[in-house]
Amino acid sequence: MKPVQLFCWHFMAYPYLDRDFDEKEYTGWVTVPNSLWDNNKARGLYQEYIDQLAYADELGFDGMVLNEHHQNIYGLMPSPNIIASALTQRSSHGKIVILGNLLPLHMNPMRVAEEYAMLDQMSNGRLIAGFAPGGGPETFNYDVPSANTREKFWEAADLIVRSWTENGPFAHEGRYFPLRYVNLWPKPLQQPFPPVWIPGSRSPSTMAEVAKRGYCYFLSSRSHGGETHRAQQEFAAVLEKHGDKYHPFRFGILMSTYVAETDQQAREECEEGVWYFLKNCLKGHLRREGRQLTYGPGVPYIPAAAWREYLKGYTPGRKLLGDVENWEELDASQSIIVGSPETVTRRIQNLIEKAKVGNLLIQFQLGNMPDHLARKSMKLFAEKVAPALRHDSLKQFTTEYPGVNVESSAEALH
Amino acid sequence: MSGRVIDVNGRKVWLLEHGNGAPLLYLHGFADVHSVKENWLPFHEKLAQHARVIAPAHPGCAQTDENKDIDVIEDVVFHYLEVLDALQLMQFDLVGGCVGGWIAAELAVRHPEKIRKLVLIGASGLFVEGALIGDVFMMAQPEYGQSYASLREMLFASADQANALEMFPDGKGDLEDEVRRYQMLRLSSRIGFKPPYFYDRPLRNRLHRISAPTLVIWGERDNFVPRSHGETYAKRIPNGSELKIIRGTGHSAHVEKPEETANLVREFLEK
Repeated sequence: MKPVQLFCWHFMAYPYLDRDFDEKEYTGWVTVPNSLWDNNKARGLYQEYIDQLAYADELGFDGMVLNEHHQNIYGLMPSPNIIASALTQRSSHGKIVILGNLLPLHMNPMRVAEEYAMLDQMSNGRLIAGFAPGGGPETFNYDVPSANTREKFWEAADLIVRSWTENGPFAHEGRYFPLRYVNLWPKPLQQPFPPVWIPGSRSPSTMAEVAKRGYCYFLSSRSHGGETHRAQQEFAAVLEKHGDKYHPFRFGILMSTYVAETDQQAREECEEGVWYFLKNCLKGHLRREGRQLTYGPGVPYIPAAAWREYLKGYTPGRKLLGDVENWEELDASQSIIVGSPETVTRRIQNLIEKAKVGNLLIQFQLGNMPDHLARKSMKLFAEKVAPALRHDSLKQFTTEYPGVNVESSAEALH
Repeated sequence: MSGRVIDVNGRKVWLLEHGNGAPLLYLHGFADVHSVKENWLPFHEKLAQHARVIAPAHPGCAQTDENKDIDVIEDVVFHYLEVLDALQLMQFDLVGGCVGGWIAAELAVRHPEKIRKLVLIGASGLFVEGALIGDVFMMAQPEYGQSYASLREMLFASADQANALEMFPDGKGDLEDEVRRYQMLRLSSRIGFKPPYFYDRPLRNRLHRISAPTLVIWGERDNFVPRSHGETYAKRIPNGSELKIIRGTGHSAHVEKPEETANLVREFLEK
């Protein structure tokens, strides 16, 4: 058994928007005018963000997390593999998690297989390979028809893993990506292949596909009320059905945190970055204000029968994370946990206890948060929060999952 | 209403049929029977007074089976060739609106001999430089989590007119209407959500093959398929009419002015 794995996730937001952005601009996604990009301010931004990730490695985080977004102010990583490549040379022990490459957006999945294999070699086997289908905004980014996104996604994911594990050349006679010569050079270093993580938002079919293949399920939700715990139970039940057993490292969640010396100081220091993140970065994604593109009838990627079920429980105009109006509401969403080391430790421990989650993917830099504050928070977390979380989670997991040998589990094997 | 399921090469196709007379195949668009409403609209009722109107639901719409092999418009056209076989329709009048008009035009360029007369209403399908067809998918994402005003604006002359609000109300609409709307978007995303966006580049240079007398109808303010597309259809189809504009309507003339639009179609078919 091992303790909870703590990862540092960086989204790389565009931090130089004017104060009246929310008032003036309709969205932060897809159609947000790129005339707002300012080279005078943005020079050196990627360096700053990469340095923060390298710092996480220095501080002893278990890994660094990157993901792919296009045409938005929320995340400036259209190609996370480029950042990952830099990290292979700037870090030495942490995993490099790419969560993930958006497979339906890529012309040929072989490109992803090749780049991931290169990254695995370049990092000496530290890659965690995430595959994601992309959500609503991404269908608009690259004009990907949503109706067949899921099928395309799984064909690509399976082809990539096959190309890593089966000797080539072989022919792939697929529906979407037929290829005559699949013959990967280089192969990935990790054997039989790097761990695969797949994000989902509690859809039973995604959980089933993940379970079938023995991968790790990552819940792509930014709020952690009762749903996180329910997702864990649902996934555990799906694993059971597939003759597999749940353990905490089959499951991961995304959360944000800010740690400072006291509760009061933490709130004061992070508040500007937090509101920048909620009101600007989430506009068009997790805000009802304007037009959110993430989920809805215009991006019809789930079957009609599933849509009917969804509509039955749906409340039009309901608040999303970015619509919170005050600090108390934000606090209750358990999305961004802010406070002293004691407060943050207690609240995250509580979350781990309930959700039995072994992979915490934590966002430290929020919105336009300045470099020195993000680093201070990361350092306090690493020194004053992480040790207790590791200690307590190890105890909890050992008691709750006796006999589970993480090293021989599907996740560790892969 | 008399609806029935027919078997088309192993797939279920749902269709409505109404009236007596010469067969008239109707292919639906976004604001229409099968794509919103379960039943005939007044426009179709009017046509059915003088013809045997047959309206199949597109693949994946209403109770018609979804067909995951559909990638491009050609696949839908082939589906309809099979539907025609199953219905044993040798020659018929063909009326299509919006995406249905696109399918109708594609059928007509391939099998001109099957079509007696052709009517296109706000048909998509053409590439016209500098006149992009609107992004109905983005507009279908509600504003403030509940307003479909911009979708109505795209599909009708104005967002607040009663017939638009009836089909695309804000907030929660009739559950089954909403599911049908979703199904139509899902089918459309297969053939219309990617470059080419609701068009098939070669179609324009194939229109010369259409031999049937053709009537092209457009709303005065079509915010989805620009009027220049209608002008191109009218000009390029050898037996094409002048473009008929229905005043005060947008993309969905058959819903916004059902009587006037149906009269125009009927007069043309009877001429």
